[in-house]
Amino acid sequence: MATRAPLIRIRQLRKTYLEGDATRCIFEHLDLDIHPGEFVALLGRSGSGKSTLLNLLSGIDLPDAGEIRVDGQTINTLDEQARTRFRRRRVGFVFQFFNLIPTLTVEENLLLPLELNGMNDAEQRRRATLMLDQVGLGSRRSSYPEQLSGGEQQRLACIRALVHRPLLLLADEPTGNLDDETGAQVLALLLKLHREAASTVLMVTHSREVAEQADRLLYLEASRVREIAR
Amino acid sequence: MKPLLWRSMLRHLTRHPWQLGLSVLGIALGVAVVLAVDLANASARASFMLSMEQVAGRATHQISGGRQGIPETLYTRLRVDLGLRDVAPVVSAYVTVGADNAPRSDDHPGDRGELYQVLGVDPFAEAPFLGYLDELSEAGVDLNAFLTRSGAALLSRTLGRSVEVAAGSTRMTLHAVGWLQSPALQHLIVTDIGTAQDLFGKAGRLDRIDLILPEDAQGERLAQSIRALLPDGFKLERTATRNQATVDLSAAFSLNLTAMSLLALVVGMFLIYNTMTFSVVQRRGLLGMLRALGADRRELFSVVLGEALLLGLAGILLGALLGLWIGSGLVHLVTRAVNDLYFTLNVREYFVTPLSLLKAGGMGLLVTLIAAWLPAREAAAAPPGAVLSRAALEARWRAALPRLSLFGLLLLLLGFVLLGFSSGLLAGFVGLFLLILGCALLTPVFMVALVRVNQGLIRGLPARMATRDVARHLSRTGVAVAALMVAFAATVGVGVMIDSFRGGVAIWITDLVNADLYIAPIALESGDDTQTLNPAVVAGLRTASGVAAVSVYRRNSVEIGGRPVTLLAVELAPRAKTGYRLVEGDPETAWRAFEQASAVMISEPLAYRQGLRAGSRITLPTAHGNRTFPVVGVFLDYGSEHGRILMQRGTYQDAWDDKAISTAALYALPGVDLARLREELLSCVGAVQPLWLRSNRDIRKFTLTVFDRTFTVTRVLRLLAILVAFVGVVSALMALQLERAREFAILRATGMTAGEVGWLVSLQTGFMGFAAGLMAIPVGLLLAAVLIFVINRRAFGWTLPFQVDPWILAEAVLLAIIAALLAGLYPLWRMARTPPAQALRSE
Repeated sequence: MATRAPLIRIRQLRKTYLEGDATRCIFEHLDLDIHPGEFVALLGRSGSGKSTLLNLLSGIDLPDAGEIRVDGQTINTLDEQARTRFRRRRVGFVFQFFNLIPTLTVEENLLLPLELNGMNDAEQRRRATLMLDQVGLGSRRSSYPEQLSGGEQQRLACIRALVHRPLLLLADEPTGNLDDETGAQVLALLLKLHREAASTVLMVTHSREVAEQADRLLYLEASRVREIAR
Repeated sequence: MKPLLWRSMLRHLTRHPWQLGLSVLGIALGVAVVLAVDLANASARASFMLSMEQVAGRATHQISGGRQGIPETLYTRLRVDLGLRDVAPVVSAYVTVGADNAPRSDDHPGDRGELYQVLGVDPFAEAPFLGYLDELSEAGVDLNAFLTRSGAALLSRTLGRSVEVAAGSTRMTLHAVGWLQSPALQHLIVTDIGTAQDLFGKAGRLDRIDLILPEDAQGERLAQSIRALLPDGFKLERTATRNQATVDLSAAFSLNLTAMSLLALVVGMFLIYNTMTFSVVQRRGLLGMLRALGADRRELFSVVLGEALLLGLAGILLGALLGLWIGSGLVHLVTRAVNDLYFTLNVREYFVTPLSLLKAGGMGLLVTLIAAWLPAREAAAAPPGAVLSRAALEARWRAALPRLSLFGLLLLLLGFVLLGFSSGLLAGFVGLFLLILGCALLTPVFMVALVRVNQGLIRGLPARMATRDVARHLSRTGVAVAALMVAFAATVGVGVMIDSFRGGVAIWITDLVNADLYIAPIALESGDDTQTLNPAVVAGLRTASGVAAVSVYRRNSVEIGGRPVTLLAVELAPRAKTGYRLVEGDPETAWRAFEQASAVMISEPLAYRQGLRAGSRITLPTAHGNRTFPVVGVFLDYGSEHGRILMQRGTYQDAWDDKAISTAALYALPGVDLARLREELLSCVGAVQPLWLRSNRDIRKFTLTVFDRTFTVTRVLRLLAILVAFVGVVSALMALQLERAREFAILRATGMTAGEVGWLVSLQTGFMGFAAGLMAIPVGLLLAAVLIFVINRRAFGWTLPFQVDPWILAEAVLLAIIAALLAGLYPLWRMARTPPAQALRSE
């Protein structure tokens, strides 16, 4: 694995936030490599910058200094439009609070990333329908998100994140809002989808138990990332 | 085009039908008011043009002039000396139908009947004119009957087979020998020229001569030959030019109405902005999700703008229907005002032109796009993280507050500079709108200041929470309060202006009309201003017992700068002079010069328009050519926006060779019973000539009635602007309160009763109404000052007093609070019906 070039390569990353009159440093000289196909769990205390790191990787946010390369592309030098295109094509997102589009049905939610990527041909649509059946939502395709249970919503969010076959899946506490049993089901689904699609996953979590399922464990503290030995 | 993206956004709208409906209604009302006013103005204009075209037929030129009309000999000379064939004589004046012809007085005002225009034509005129007569009638004209039957006429079917008409003291029964074909012609009567001359006592005289001249060099040469033939005071004009000049007289009136209607649209623009901002704020979560999924800024911008466009189109469609309906009511008010103030319309049709529809629709669309631009940018410009954050928008608003206020101040300054350094009416309106916009931008900072003051004054956490929230949610409350403020400021401004105007007119007419009785020939009231008092009547008045003094007036009209200016030749009783309030010139010196040195006094509008002052000289077209008169005074006058000239009767007689008297005013001796004096005069001079005798009270009342009638349309527009604002405020506050359902549920869960939360909501909406009402007072007074001292001055040339009725101010604050409180009712009802648990679950 070490011989392959990393999919994510972060060097000397610095990110600060202005809080009132004070500047709060989130990262300072942060370096990180994640290789293609890895399932990485990122642990850390609240406010340590886990979600900020996901936002920086997806191009939602920009660092103050340093370099973020994903699949050979330095994303922090891209303009807003290019970063959006990058996110649209290369990244899938799973959030703690699902963030499904309340005004679209289950099926429409799933088709949206395909449509944004101009991939809405019959074959892709058929594959999306199949994915719905695979996660047990085939009969709920015309329902709206608010009519689903939490577990169902997160399952839908997982397949929505992967339906357009992104290189990188970013999951921000995907089980944080679910009970243990449902959380375990969603995690199993994420792992299954990761294996099937051979995608790279960076998952933020508070749970050591959840993190143990990943290939690598990272701990974010004092503005740096530390590798946790298994 | 990404259908799912559109679907995800549009479904948000359909899930909030009340909000959607109110937004569409807001736009619709704005568009409707603009369309209605435009249609009413266009209809009045088109009615006039049609009236003129119908009476002018195919004539390309007209000869007119001479107070006593055109001698028939001139017509003969045109045919014989110049060999013209396409030439036709016309007698045209007004008659009343259904009028009670008894002498008039306070006790017997009489039925004034309805005005009809009589067109006396010569059927022996050449072919082109005959063809025109055929066009007017339903099935051609029976020339034999038209010429031989006594009182033969072409009538509108609404008048029946025969009708009795009155022209002054002359009454005549006209019989239909054919029907006018168009319902638009229902106020026209066509007779043979001889019949018309008999009816109006114009034997041997014509009102105008119509000509058809070729549109080439030969036509121009002919026109020059005709002009050389015309005596002084007569002129040859192109028909179209003449019509245009007349219709332009009411341009300032139309512009005022248009400006009022645009105010409604500006309020509507605030509403659209408000609606779109709300819909963006409400969907910040949705927008953030879409951005995180990869929807780019341009896509979201297009969707939000597209949404606004759809709302705009729905609003425009509904607005067009509403506008057509409101316009049909408004056209009567406008044509009545035009009739009162400018010219008589014998056609009163409601013309719906595609241009009016296009203009209103286009403006609605433009305003929608302008108003939606910022919210659309708001939706698209922020990075996804910030869109997801609830507080980010409010933080941006707070950060932008100093810039916004500075911009507001800048607009105010610009407005003042424009008003101070320009002289045109349009620039005046632009300055006025800049002031309104500047004040609207200052509303949020005013609200924040008011909340701060309020926080120190009130006790109790809920009350403080309610008012504090208004400042905390500035992105949502700011625009709503600004829209409400603008609407109520307009109410205060227009209300104070009308009140001041009315107050000024009341004082002016009381001062001016200070004689005890006024006497005029009945025909004057029928629109025939060539009628004069019989000399025996004047002599009778002067020698009647109980009469202390008599003033006599001769009314004429001269054209100055393309406008018809009233020339009043007077012989005034000493008390009558005190009725003229001089705004320029020393009264004693001025009156002495007026009586001894052939000088004139002019009214304020004329002085303003022509740039004249006391000491200037004015050139007038007299019967003996142009003559210059010194101006010794400028008097306050609301009688005519085009101006009036006061001249000593002796000076007038010399210059115009006219000894006639139009009206008289008499002052009774102290202690004389006026009712008895009137009876005696009626039996004495009333026997000589049908007259009306009116008391000063009656004339003052009539003047104020006409004033109120003229301003009815303004009042209606003011109410419509309030309605637009009300809809907007209901929509904005409803959205704001509905959005806070979860917050209310938390308060309920914490232990507040539904009643207590209800009180909180009412307190908040009431506070917003109060803030809007409070700010509307100074802004409204500023608007009133601009309307009074700039707009009215530039449009009509008169100075008005500045009178403020405290009730108008209190009314604005009260109405604003009531509107805001009403707006909170639906959210309250919803909140009371929704269990807190459900609201907590479904944010």
